[in-house]
Amino acid sequence: MPPKSILKKTGPPMTERNGRPVNQRHLDVALHHANILEQRKAVEAQVLDSIMTLMEYPPSPDADPKRPSAADARDFTAAVAAFQPADYDALIEERNIADKCGYALCPRPKMRARSTAKKQFVDTDKGVEIVDRKVLEVWCSDDCAKRALYVKVQLNEEPAWMRTGGHGEKIELMVDNAQELRTALPVRTKQAAPAPVKTEEEEDLDDAWAALDNAKTELALERGEKPGAVSKANNSLVQDTIKEHESSNAPPEPPTLPSGSTMAIEGHVPRHNRPKDEDEDEDEQDWDKDLNG
Amino acid sequence: MSDERQPSASLIRMWRVWRTTKEMMNDRGYQVLEDDMNMPLDEFADKYGRADGEPDRSKLNFSAQPGEEMLAKYTPVATKKDPEPRPQIGTIWVEFNSDENVGLKQLRDYMQHLVNGAFYSGIMVTVKPMTGMAIRLLRGSATMSEGPKGGVEVFVEQDLLVNITKHELVPKHVLLSEEEKQQLLKRYRLKATQLPRIQSTDPVAKYLGLKRGAVVKIIRKSETAGRYASYRWVI
Repeated sequence: MPPKSILKKTGPPMTERNGRPVNQRHLDVALHHANILEQRKAVEAQVLDSIMTLMEYPPSPDADPKRPSAADARDFTAAVAAFQPADYDALIEERNIADKCGYALCPRPKMRARSTAKKQFVDTDKGVEIVDRKVLEVWCSDDCAKRALYVKVQLNEEPAWMRTGGHGEKIELMVDNAQELRTALPVRTKQAAPAPVKTEEEEDLDDAWAALDNAKTELALERGEKPGAVSKANNSLVQDTIKEHESSNAPPEPPTLPSGSTMAIEGHVPRHNRPKDEDEDEDEQDWDKDLNG
Repeated sequence: MSDERQPSASLIRMWRVWRTTKEMMNDRGYQVLEDDMNMPLDEFADKYGRADGEPDRSKLNFSAQPGEEMLAKYTPVATKKDPEPRPQIGTIWVEFNSDENVGLKQLRDYMQHLVNGAFYSGIMVTVKPMTGMAIRLLRGSATMSEGPKGGVEVFVEQDLLVNITKHELVPKHVLLSEEEKQQLLKRYRLKATQLPRIQSTDPVAKYLGLKRGAVVKIIRKSETAGRYASYRWVI
């Protein structure tokens, strides 16, 4: 007996469940939203992962926060790009618990306050200030604080799964060796071997398809999608068939009062508003009127 | 200086936390020594106090084995495919963390320790609430391959100062085994989704370590009926 597959059989799309027909559109909507949620979960897991790696940054103990190595700087900016400012704060908190300077590119331990008192005196330009010990023990130096906050202000407030691309994706570092980092960008790999020669017609066709693909990916980038992620444009949900409103040349009509009595209250016309002749005929409650009158 | 040493406030606090933890393990069905649950303060101070009168948290850690009843309760119903199911419970490791702040690092170390020690599940009791990221890791850890099979629970010391189940307004909660759950659903011709619900973050649900999908029987006092039982589905 051949082994039986445990996978579901892929037949034609299900059109009936429990005897009732399934609305394909409802299924599509549900699937679309489920995919968006899934994507959101993936982004959150990625942020958590990044924080865990950045907690133990930089890899070498003698790294210099002023002149980070190109690889460190690249990894750091790439990881941080998906962060919200709150995530960045969480990273600083985690690093402090691990007794490290809050700036992820700095290998030194955080500053130690002079005593273990809750509040500390600090000399500033304006005189002596009283500061929480926690605030004091975040960075190793003021310089690191400046560099770390320089990154924080560039972060996007919007969560990564809702971002529309195009802006704010590039994080700049405050470094002294900016020139070096720029030149140390990843070298482009060599071009693939030349494809077999094609006829001119085929080439034209291929060019057209390539242009279409290019345009599509550019459009996706503009919407803030990453390759492999769920597309925000859903062909089946948003249709691009345009329906035109038919215009008629008839002149507009002025509004008119609805026919019948305007004094009706939920369909009932009160007695004293009724036309006189209607009131004249035999009524069950005539005696009532006579009494009151 | 008098011979009698006055236990410090933090030691008394720790004593209460520790006793509640032992009671909690007992209520869940783990094997706990009777003496541990009723240990007087003096004995506790002798055993776990340091010279300076502070509690020594690293000595408080303990592991517990599930009892017979608990093993039976956590065993899923036998099916054709799995005629002899294994109980979904095992040795638990309870750790009293002494760090001021607990973050990702401590939580991950703890999970690693649980895996290395082949513990089924773990409870960490912390001095202060964990950081937000650590809570996020904990939430996601149920589906992760990292960490122990039975999951990790985290309690803050403050929440364990008093045993909430001993309060007169808290009714008795009893976890149903898989078999009892099936019987209940069959008896009343229900689906689990048709039961009333209880959140897994509910204080008593946390105390009993209830997992999503379990059914808990709640027995209340009733003026007219004497006792009244209701059932809730953990979500």
